[in-house]
Amino acid sequence: ACDDGEMVIKFSHVTNTDKHPKGIAASLFMERVNAEMDGKVCVEVYPNSTLYNDDQVLEAMLQGDVQMAAPSLSKFETFTKIYRIFDLPFMFKNMDAVEEFQQSEVGQDMKEAMVRRGLLGLGFWHNGLKQFSANKPLVAPTDAAGLKFRVQPSDVLVAQMEALDASPQPMSFSEVYGALQTGVVDGQENTWSNIYGQKFFEVQDGITETNHGLLDYMVVTSVDWWEGLDADIREQLSTIMSEVTTERNAAIAEVDMENRQAVLDAGGVIRELDAEQRQAWVDVMKPVWAQFEGDVGADNIAAAQEINAKH
Amino acid sequence: MSLPDDSQGTALGRFFDSVEENLIAAILGVMTLITFANVVLRYVFNESLIWGLEVVLILFAWLVMLGISYGFKKTTHLGVDAVTNLLPSRGQRVAALLSAAACFAYAALLMKGAWDYWAPFAALQPTEGRWFPLGFTENTRDRAFYMTDQVPMLGILRWLEDAINYGDSYDKLPRVVPYFIIPFGSALILLRVVQASIRIIKGEQASLIVSHEAEEDVERVAAQNAQEE
Amino acid sequence: MEVILLFVMVLGLLLIGVPIAVSLGLSSMIFLLAFSDTSLASVAQSLYQAMAGHYTLLAIPFFILASSFMSTGGVATRIVRFSIACVGHMHGGLAIAGVFACMIFAALSGSSPATVVAIGTIVIAAMKKVGYSKDFAAGVICNAGTLGILIPPSIVMVVYASATDVSVGRMFLAGVIPGLLAGTMLMLAIYIIARIKKLPKGEWAGWGEIWNSFKDAFWGLMLIVIIMVGIYGIPGITGAIFTPTEAAAVASVYAFFVASFIYRDMGPLRNSDERISLLRKPQAVVTAFFHKDTRATLFDAGKLTIMLMFIIANALILKHVLTDEQIPQQIANAMLSAGFGKIMFLVMVNVILLIGGQFMEPSGLIVIVAPLVFPIAIELGVDPIHLGIIMVVNMEIGMITPPVGLNLFVTSGVAGMPMMAVVRAAAPFLAILFVFLILITYVPIISTYLPTSLMGPEIITN
Ligand code: NA
Ligand code: NA
Repeated sequence: ACDDGEMVIKFSHVTNTDKHPKGIAASLFMERVNAEMDGKVCVEVYPNSTLYNDDQVLEAMLQGDVQMAAPSLSKFETFTKIYRIFDLPFMFKNMDAVEEFQQSEVGQDMKEAMVRRGLLGLGFWHNGLKQFSANKPLVAPTDAAGLKFRVQPSDVLVAQMEALDASPQPMSFSEVYGALQTGVVDGQENTWSNIYGQKFFEVQDGITETNHGLLDYMVVTSVDWWEGLDADIREQLSTIMSEVTTERNAAIAEVDMENRQAVLDAGGVIRELDAEQRQAWVDVMKPVWAQFEGDVGADNIAAAQEINAKH
Repeated sequence: MSLPDDSQGTALGRFFDSVEENLIAAILGVMTLITFANVVLRYVFNESLIWGLEVVLILFAWLVMLGISYGFKKTTHLGVDAVTNLLPSRGQRVAALLSAAACFAYAALLMKGAWDYWAPFAALQPTEGRWFPLGFTENTRDRAFYMTDQVPMLGILRWLEDAINYGDSYDKLPRVVPYFIIPFGSALILLRVVQASIRIIKGEQASLIVSHEAEEDVERVAAQNAQEE
Repeated sequence: MEVILLFVMVLGLLLIGVPIAVSLGLSSMIFLLAFSDTSLASVAQSLYQAMAGHYTLLAIPFFILASSFMSTGGVATRIVRFSIACVGHMHGGLAIAGVFACMIFAALSGSSPATVVAIGTIVIAAMKKVGYSKDFAAGVICNAGTLGILIPPSIVMVVYASATDVSVGRMFLAGVIPGLLAGTMLMLAIYIIARIKKLPKGEWAGWGEIWNSFKDAFWGLMLIVIIMVGIYGIPGITGAIFTPTEAAAVASVYAFFVASFIYRDMGPLRNSDERISLLRKPQAVVTAFFHKDTRATLFDAGKLTIMLMFIIANALILKHVLTDEQIPQQIANAMLSAGFGKIMFLVMVNVILLIGGQFMEPSGLIVIVAPLVFPIAIELGVDPIHLGIIMVVNMEIGMITPPVGLNLFVTSGVAGMPMMAVVRAAAPFLAILFVFLILITYVPIISTYLPTSLMGPEIITN
């Protein structure tokens, strides 16, 4: 608990504190601030949606009831459409490309895309690339046709599933395991750490390693609150945040591979695609880009592809 | 748990009763049908109304927030009367007045909270002050841009774009619309609590909770049974 | 500690006759304003999000509605007839049939008071007619009605699942064996009392009556099948068709359909005692949706939903305030560092719930208590599903103990008895529920066997 006289920063998120990449990063941020800024600032982490879920937390932040959160990028739709670039299928080849794009000038500017609506991005936190899973083998994109996939309710992801002739089903995250198990929905898309952490592999025929999309988070704070801080405190918080971000993002590839291995060790089936098979998925899903080019900017797509070409 | 008919007897009172009752019935009916339709669409046609779940959840909130005030009007809210029943009648009256005061405090604080929450979504200003509204703030950033996740924008609400959103178009229904029930429902709660409190002060009503009524029900049924036997 | 002040405030307000919901909400707001920086706007947000942000709780209005259609629509009457045909000829037969009917209705309905209303209105009057005392009849039904929340579907289980993020489907499965066990214990007790006290027994009406009454009740009983197959699927034939929440909505639509078009006990095809054929009045396909009976049933269900959700929503506000002040962590740390073992912990949970259950409506109490004890339970290795069933059984007891006992309220209404008389009448059977609670607490496998063997062990994903 915080001492009297310390400024309290409430950091609310929706995962555990010690296994999920976001939870680990938030805990690390808390530890470092509480040690290095002791007596001045104190971070309290509220994990597991105990205080707010991802949807309510942004309202609460604008209201001043919570100071930090790290929702996934698709939760910011109403603040800016520019983050749709991170949801577009096959936009990035691997996490190194994602990292380089986010560190580029274009990427860094994106942290300020929501300032006029009251939110400031403090950093991108990685979770990893998404894979498809279903209750039948998915090898060719046509295998997904006619299946019901749980997706986050975002326009890009809905369009992506429609491109596959699959039926997108909105569903709260906590319900997905039960729905996959009993067959209410047939499949889902997620990162290795979520597939392992939520045990989805137990109730699916297998996971197809498509690496087709990105699941990333943005640590955000309220512009009004942030600008009201003393300059030295703001600076110190910024520094700690960026060091924590660098440290945890650098570890993400390893975390991902550990979770992938854990799925295998637990008896899960993983299907790898060869270049030709993967290209078939790209051909079907990439046309979705055109639909959202106006939202994310053709020049931004070009910048991302230029970086992609290097990896 | 049927209720004795305690509508104030005026035609206007009966009219408002029936509006509220029909709304409660209709909202619940629509919630059920949308949910059912989505099951059929998914299982039979492999389709879904992507906005279905969100709309049903909004209707759920409307149902309850509209209904709470109706509950105060008809004294259907549950409470404990075991202790107050042991008091002499003077004590019971004091307890009823205290409890009316508590309900008033609740409704008034809720009203302030509801306004402060909703106002920025409508490009209006929330109130100053922590416990009591001490005027309106002047430069709270508005949240009129804030849209629902999947609910389609309704054509008849397009005027909102010019009215509160600087002419920017909404591609989904803005949150100001579903959230409207928060200040509206709270205002109704405040109104019904004040009316009930006045009835208590005048001695026309004994308490704010349902249990007394259960006793009256019992007496009524007991009287009927006595006649039958 | 400030949190004690909070609970004293809640209790004080309750005792002077403030509605439960307001006692919870007002105490939370005062606590929030006095001890934290969080705004009143967050209270309004919590109130709205109690409904709009909790997908699982959406099952509540639908299960209530399904029950309403079944009691208005004549399903309950037919279930009672079938039960009497099966067990009415035994010693204490009508009372045993009453319990049996409550068990069947419990498998259709998610709520205990609804079970008492549906079955009690019919059975208590019938029992009095053949010579049982009114007290005995009321005591039996008041107790058996509590099975409504133990035998799936169950509103209280839905609330527990929502508060702790465990699977609703698993909780429902977990209630099956305990529900059958509790019902059997009650029937056995009645049988023994009946032999000692020489209570009346009915006529054996023969297998023909069992078959006929079964046929008559068939469309109502089908609902159990629809709910179970819909939620769990049939291995090898179909996967599940809907989530537990959707199951409740489907159940409502089905019950409406059976009541209006098959039994025709309500709606446009009923003309006092006459049943009109749909062929003679085809427009009923449309008018049934707007018929005054339909409207009245929807309104009744809506009213009950509002009453429950007002309490649950304010309990959620209290929970939000407790979380905001990091109270659950403090309590968990205090309990863990005190070195409580599993058994001591479960005893404490039982004591807290039994005391709380005296004053609170079950769903509201679970919303508040579950987040406080859940993390500790996980830490101590208590199965979350087992914990849930323990909570449900405690809530059953709370429903038939004064001063706040929903089943007591409705039984006194249905039987036409003063509340204190119902309390005395229910007391002997309450002892059975206590024995049952001890059994459930110390023999976890009763609760966990079905969900674990059918769905694998519960995983904690948080
Ligand atoms: Na039940
Ligand atoms: Na009680």
